[in-house]
Amino acid sequence: MSRGMNLSINGQSQVPPGFRFHPTEEELLHYYLRKKVACEKIDLDVIREVDLNKLEPWDIQEMCRIGSTPQTDWYFFSHKDRKYPTGTRMNRATTAGFWKATGRDKIIRSGSRRIGLRKTLVFYKGRAPHGQKSDWIMHEYRLDDGAASNNEIIGVCPAGDAMSEEGWVVCRVFKKKNYVKTLDSPQSPSGSLAEARLHSLSGGNSAILNQILSYMGRTCESKSDLLDKLNVVVSDGANLNKLSYQTKDNLSSRFTHLPRLGSSLGPNDHSNIKPSCYQYQPFDDVFLRADESPAFQVNQHGMIRDWATLDRLVASQLNGQAEVSLQKQQSYFVDDPSMSTSLPPHDDEKVPFPSQKRLTRPESHHDRDHDHQQNLHMYGCDNDFWGITTSTSPSSLSDGPLRYLSA
Amino acid sequence: MGDNKVNLPPGFRFYPTDEELVVHFLHRKASLLPCHPDVIPDLELYPYEPWELQGKAWCEGSKWYFYSRKASSRTTRSGYWHPVRPEEPVFTSSSCREVGFKQCYAFHSGESPHGIRMSWIMHEYRLPVGGASGRSPRRKGLMKIDPTTWVLCRVYDSEDEDGGGGGGGGVELSCLDEVFLSLDDMDEISLPN
Repeated sequence: MSRGMNLSINGQSQVPPGFRFHPTEEELLHYYLRKKVACEKIDLDVIREVDLNKLEPWDIQEMCRIGSTPQTDWYFFSHKDRKYPTGTRMNRATTAGFWKATGRDKIIRSGSRRIGLRKTLVFYKGRAPHGQKSDWIMHEYRLDDGAASNNEIIGVCPAGDAMSEEGWVVCRVFKKKNYVKTLDSPQSPSGSLAEARLHSLSGGNSAILNQILSYMGRTCESKSDLLDKLNVVVSDGANLNKLSYQTKDNLSSRFTHLPRLGSSLGPNDHSNIKPSCYQYQPFDDVFLRADESPAFQVNQHGMIRDWATLDRLVASQLNGQAEVSLQKQQSYFVDDPSMSTSLPPHDDEKVPFPSQKRLTRPESHHDRDHDHQQNLHMYGCDNDFWGITTSTSPSSLSDGPLRYLSA
Repeated sequence: MGDNKVNLPPGFRFYPTDEELVVHFLHRKASLLPCHPDVIPDLELYPYEPWELQGKAWCEGSKWYFYSRKASSRTTRSGYWHPVRPEEPVFTSSSCREVGFKQCYAFHSGESPHGIRMSWIMHEYRLPVGGASGRSPRRKGLMKIDPTTWVLCRVYDSEDEDGGGGGGGGVELSCLDEVFLSLDDMDEISLPN
């Protein structure tokens, strides 16, 4: 047997045991895609060409297998074609479904230099626009170093063209992880039991957030569809933390600016109640506490069945400041430019709250309760939304935060 | 990777599963067969301080791999390795056969049992007594060396970001992507790429 580190022996790829193909984004772009675009021969046939229109994601696994080691992601080259000659939409339909792109492309850098862009796509089964979202995700990388024209990158390859939307891309396809990382995967050592538990808790309690959001959505007629759809957003509880850090940069232009609900700095810190001031709380607290709260009850399907239960859930979060995060989470999903809300200065107006006794806490928490109550009204388009503010008179509400709403 | 013994194209990294470590590496070592690839070194002296492994053990992705003789004592000069939880069996994925055992240790600085736990973790793999794969009797003669003598260790700092894997792309859909997907007809909205 030869030294045998070559990948291809007699056309059959052989990867030494223990090794798997896990390139960095830099390697994908700078080494593999560059060579492909320049029509250089890429040794050892690690990444193959695939016609995306002809393969379903699950077929790609077979096609793009590298060695015999178990894989969690698969790599291939693809040539992008426009769907219509004059349009900008790419043709990404297969027999069983289609790939749908998400938001903006991410810039990939090597050191400080930009080398390419990454687009994220999700596979939907069926036909647009009624497809059913699957767990298959694709990262599509293309070369783009900004200033330089594509001609320089392409070189003399006759198949290349100057259009940045067409040409070769290198793709990674994988199945989305949902909750618990597998404990014996090569990259996550078994010492991450605590981490796995956190993920499972997050996953379980994100269903609770789903319900909260869906209840909120149903009373805001124009928002119900949006919020229902956004329930899938929270299905991956482990990722909710990321929303808080990304939303500021990416959603601020689309969604209402809302002031920071400053409970972490103390209830009387009004100076922080400004539209442009953002500070986010991690969601872990919400989900962990919800599970541990004795007052929290869900039925066997994990659904909140009545307002009292919902109220108890929210109330149980008060100690942990988590309800503030919850409110902010909701605020980002209310896509109504006309609804420019601002939290009025914290005044002495006390909105009657029947369950206030339960919420009564030591003095330091009292004002936070008040914030909480005001927030509840802000997000309830229906005055009696929560079904618990029965003693609140409409007139007092009209003087309160709701006057700022124009639903 | 910095090791010339392995001549693979860029992007290949040593990320073995538990099963691979036991079957392809540890078992071959104990059977006196050459390991292929022969990348994991033999470190006779054991146990090491975690920080002494740099340069001695095979390193990939901030993890160190080495063989050693099974030692009864796991005390080093400055600390000791203490088990984190009970030993777990390692199974093959295909036949669910037990091929070895894995034990996790955490490094504690100071003297047992009052040491301070640090972030270094060690996974120690061993073969079952009597050989891993239940070889046929005629092969038993070759197993004169006690297969439980050798252990394979992986050491890493749990505080190191578990990076390198996936190349920074991640295997999760970012929440922002989820939000955008939930909005209708993203394709119709022209966002500058």
